[in-house]
Amino acid sequence: MILAVLFANSVGNVLIERFNGVPAEERLTWRSFLVKLGAENLKGVKNEELLVACHKSVYIVYTMLGDVSIFLVGKDEYDELALAEAIFIITGAVKDICGKPPTERVFLDKYGRICLCLDEIVWNGLLENTDKDRIKRLIRLKPPSEF
Amino acid sequence: MAEASGKTLMDLISADPTPIPAKSSSSASASASTSSTASPAAASAGSHLQQPMSTKTTLGEKKSKRATLTQIQNDTISVAKAALNPVKANIMPQRQRQKKKPVSYTQLARSIHELAATLDQKSSQKQLVNHVFPKLAVYNSVDPSLAPSLLMLNQQCEDRNVLRYVYYYLARILSDTGMSPGGGIPTPNWDALADIDAGGGVTRADVVPRIVNQLTSEASNSETEFHARRLQALKALTYSPSGNSELLSKLYEIVFGLLDKVADVPNKRKKGVFGTKGGDKESIIRSNLQYAAMSALRRLPLDPGNPLFLHRAAQGVSFADPVAVRHSLEILSELAARDPYSVAMTLEKLASPAGALQDILHLNDVLARVALARLCHSISRARALDERPDIRSHFNSILYQLLLDPSERVCYEAILCILGKYDNTERTDERASGWYRLTREILKLPEAPSKDKSNKTKRPQPLIKLVMRRLESSFRSFSRPVLHAAARVVQEMGKSRAAAFAMGLQDIDESVHVNAFSDVLDDAETNDSSHPEGIRRTSSISAGPGRNETIASLLASLMEVVRTTVACECVYVRGMVVKALIWMQSPHESLDELKSIIASELSDPAWPAALVNDVLLTLHARFKATPDMAVILLEIARIFATKVPGKIDADVLQLLWKTCLIGAGPDGKHTALEAVTIVLDLPPPQPGSMSGLTSLDRVSASDPKSALALQKLVQAAEWFLGENANYAASEYAWESATPPGTALMMLDADKMVAAASSRNPTLAGALTRLQRCAFSGSWEVRIVAVQALTTIAIRSGEPFRLQIYEFLYTLAEGGVQSQLSEMHLSNGEDQGVSGTGLGVLITPMLKVLDEMYVGQDELIKDMRNHDNANKEWKDEELKKLYETHERLLDFVSLFCYIPRAKYLPLGPISAKLIDTYRTKHNITASSGSTDPTVLATGISDLIYESTQPAPAASNSSGLDDDLVNAWAANLGDDGLLGNNAPAMSRVNEFIAGVGTDAPDVDEENVFSRPSVGYDDMWAKTLLENNELEEDDARSGSSSPDSTGSVESSISSHFGGMNYPSLFSSKPSSQATAKSSGSKYQSTYEGYGSPIREEPPPPYSYSEPQSRESFENPMAGSSSRSYGSDDDEPRKSTGTRFGTALYDFTAGGDDELNLTAEEELEIEYEVDGWFYVKKKRPGRDGKMAGLVPVLYVNQS
Repeated sequence: MILAVLFANSVGNVLIERFNGVPAEERLTWRSFLVKLGAENLKGVKNEELLVACHKSVYIVYTMLGDVSIFLVGKDEYDELALAEAIFIITGAVKDICGKPPTERVFLDKYGRICLCLDEIVWNGLLENTDKDRIKRLIRLKPPSEF
Repeated sequence: MAEASGKTLMDLISADPTPIPAKSSSSASASASTSSTASPAAASAGSHLQQPMSTKTTLGEKKSKRATLTQIQNDTISVAKAALNPVKANIMPQRQRQKKKPVSYTQLARSIHELAATLDQKSSQKQLVNHVFPKLAVYNSVDPSLAPSLLMLNQQCEDRNVLRYVYYYLARILSDTGMSPGGGIPTPNWDALADIDAGGGVTRADVVPRIVNQLTSEASNSETEFHARRLQALKALTYSPSGNSELLSKLYEIVFGLLDKVADVPNKRKKGVFGTKGGDKESIIRSNLQYAAMSALRRLPLDPGNPLFLHRAAQGVSFADPVAVRHSLEILSELAARDPYSVAMTLEKLASPAGALQDILHLNDVLARVALARLCHSISRARALDERPDIRSHFNSILYQLLLDPSERVCYEAILCILGKYDNTERTDERASGWYRLTREILKLPEAPSKDKSNKTKRPQPLIKLVMRRLESSFRSFSRPVLHAAARVVQEMGKSRAAAFAMGLQDIDESVHVNAFSDVLDDAETNDSSHPEGIRRTSSISAGPGRNETIASLLASLMEVVRTTVACECVYVRGMVVKALIWMQSPHESLDELKSIIASELSDPAWPAALVNDVLLTLHARFKATPDMAVILLEIARIFATKVPGKIDADVLQLLWKTCLIGAGPDGKHTALEAVTIVLDLPPPQPGSMSGLTSLDRVSASDPKSALALQKLVQAAEWFLGENANYAASEYAWESATPPGTALMMLDADKMVAAASSRNPTLAGALTRLQRCAFSGSWEVRIVAVQALTTIAIRSGEPFRLQIYEFLYTLAEGGVQSQLSEMHLSNGEDQGVSGTGLGVLITPMLKVLDEMYVGQDELIKDMRNHDNANKEWKDEELKKLYETHERLLDFVSLFCYIPRAKYLPLGPISAKLIDTYRTKHNITASSGSTDPTVLATGISDLIYESTQPAPAASNSSGLDDDLVNAWAANLGDDGLLGNNAPAMSRVNEFIAGVGTDAPDVDEENVFSRPSVGYDDMWAKTLLENNELEEDDARSGSSSPDSTGSVESSISSHFGGMNYPSLFSSKPSSQATAKSSGSKYQSTYEGYGSPIREEPPPPYSYSEPQSRESFENPMAGSSSRSYGSDDDEPRKSTGTRFGTALYDFTAGGDDELNLTAEEELEIEYEVDGWFYVKKKRPGRDGKMAGLVPVLYVNQS
């Protein structure tokens, strides 16, 4: 299960978050934990360089893309490597939409489409589509494979 | 917070997409919320959003949040009204008027309604896609009143982009259960709002059926042109909460119907696997629909017993769409975990060397291959398939082939599966055979279909070699996730290896025993014939010594690489590496390297407390796997205590000390205790006093918080020593042969110390350290040290008791104080009582010992008199003696647990006389005041006459070494770890590998525990009990009165109920607290109170029943009788009745709701609260709990 997907800006404001199977009362803690983790470790990190953390049996993989930091929290089959895979797809999709590693402005301009993309990539806590073109088609309501 | 760009989520919902002038986000929102009248809601919501970092929610924030919600509420109501009475005014001009101001939710909602109505215009669609929908996405959830417009859009709109958003929002409305996972700007509970606005509110319940209907009809639409929408409709439907069984069955129906049509048509799957290009239109549409159906099926609840479900899932394996195949395999692997047999039967053909499962090995989807590994593992290890070794071997062969997978994720999953780590259920035999498989089996690729494979892997390869090579190359990676995962795999390898050792395969690396092992394992595992020709026992191929050396050398070279990984800058990777090293450490290897690695690691302040504790818990798990390593692990734990006292959980460390002490066995006990006493050797954390220590023992407690933590740790260690030194030293007063007279003659202190250390160096060492602590260090540390000394004094025979007595006496007199006063002042720990305070506090403890010695003296005198006069002992004399004996026992019991039946406060010589009296009067040793409450209340004499306790059900068999050992062994086992004390549950949770709860973020919280534990409450009440009892107590027993107050209040902090102790028989210690307090409180209240003002103890159980589970065979069978009698004394003291005066609403779990006039049974009083029972359960179903005393009228 991918427990959480969270986008934050460089000063720690949460831009997008998607929790799955996390009790409401724990979300705030997770949010602050992730943002703190980012604040402590993401300074000077290269774009898309993956960082890793864990807490009990939960794995966290996070990275920086332009002005935006992206966090993924997972457990069970979504271990650090699977999350790395997922975050790679997410960063790829965001870059595609924004054209380059986004500034916060650009990210917010494309906010709606990024939400749609995320909706195609992570569906109910499970990784769904991984293929760039396929995601692009799906957010335009085209079938996953075209003829 | 001030940020140059100043772009926030707020800007996103501003109508004008042009950049906003830069200003700090907080000021932006502040100004917006003050100036804007149209959008305070969104603005203040934004301000709420922007500070996720602050963990403290200030009042102001809360207020602004409330304001937001109210505002949104107002807005929504007006929107709902607007929807009912169509408003002519267009939103566009409004928007232009208020440029740069955020759009409120209301405006967005209104735009949707209006744009939906004017859909025929191109501009409307554009407006929707570019402005309205993206902005709406910022909000946490979507108002159900939007649903009609969305549905209208869904029906009438042609624009794909609009429609995609419509499906997105419909799905969100469906999934919204009040706690939407959406994030973003918080929105109110729409349903509650709709209820308020009774006129026109739209609730989810109103719209969901409509949405579901429309989506289901779309999902069933089989038009070709429509199929993309069909996919999205099906997807949106899966978002609805799974509680709705009607919808669920509808969904199953749709999915199965869809699969009926698309799954069974034989398609050209070969083409599909390697890419969908070039397929004809029909097959592509079919593949798309297969994908949609399988994805939806994956989100539906598993239906394990249903053959149709299994059949449909299995069909998915052959689908062309890789995502569909992945979902199918995931479903199958989950099914296989429950019912491997039927899954295996269904997949039988697919698993054969040319079957579809082989193709998945080359499928371009990592998670599909991961699922395949899990599936193969479940089936190849299934006992249910013992009859079908052929099937198992097919799956096994696929699993082994996955070791060659290019993706680390897949390869590691295969390794973990082979190692026997599948889920969090740890089974030692599974693990052991996993290690065996990894080290003994070989991979030979099947001959048949490897047309695209190069020949290099064709040679049979031992698994271990493949794995080691793979891991070694992973450790050279620069990717932190890869390093972390590789270290984790090594850790799991260590676990399996430890299990193999524990199962008696410790010589697994030696060739001589290879065959013997395979015999052993064949019983537990599978029969040899189950393996296909591809996988043969290595032992039959190369059983030479060279090969075994290879495993060892492979491991050695791997560990070399692992060690170098500590250089990684990521602290979590390092943490995982340390854990891996701990697991791979074998009991016989040198520890130095590991120790220095850990020591240097822990010196890094970057390590978060959670991670440090994780490693500490790993030590627990390691101990559980290999009890032989107790001493080694204690050595490691010592590093934690010295390096990061502020970060570790003292409870967990305590538990580790204890388990290791027991696990260390008779030979290791001394070393084990030494490892604990090391903590006491730590210098106080003042910077000046750290000279002259080796670097390993240097304390890193520079800040006040760690200093406090270190102090707590020292207290814990002292307490631990007091409780367990006698066990470790095997020195018990009741087993000592030295008559007290002998000891009394050696009054020379030096001689005494010499004698003590020669007799029992372990105990002498502990004593020396405690003595040092008793006169140096902070007041808190000293008092615990004195208490520990008293415990040891009571439990030990001579000369130890005398030695301690002597020491305490000097201390009380202030002799030691004055000698050391200079030092005392220098470390700033003077408590303002200039040394005498401690002396007075220890007087009660001293008095007990005094009493004992006086009693002994008198007894000796009496005996001499009798001997000289050649008189028989009269019954009255015996009775007097016996009463003294019992009285002393009661006093002693106030301090610590002692086996009453065997303990002789009057010395060994009294044994015969006491025995005589007992036999005469038919008193069994454990009867009388052994009853825990009576015993410990110390008012036993009083109650004794009125209520004659029943003779104990069991005669206490006393204590012998066998029992102790048996118990110790028991404790090392699950008996101890199964206890539900917080530390134990933490350990258990860790070992079970569960725990997904959110991490503690606020470091301030490291020490914050429940402020008042149950035990504390109890102890306190007893301290404040009524005067009557106190008077009685005074008249009954004169001297050691003050002991009680000090003892009890300390014991409530450090007493047996909190720390695991060999002697802390829970009932007695709990009763100790109760009794002593009740009796002696007021006399020494002045001294008792500072103790109570201490910060709340971190070591409190929250569950009162936890102490029951702590069984203490040292008390013999009488400990069981304690439990059974537990309730009786309360009743015998008189259960009171009462009625509730007023209604009372429970404020916590342990409190009880009251209705006025209710009749109650008062069980006992606790700190201003009654524990009462009702006659019948209240509305909340609770029968018993705490209520304030003032709410009850006692009858």
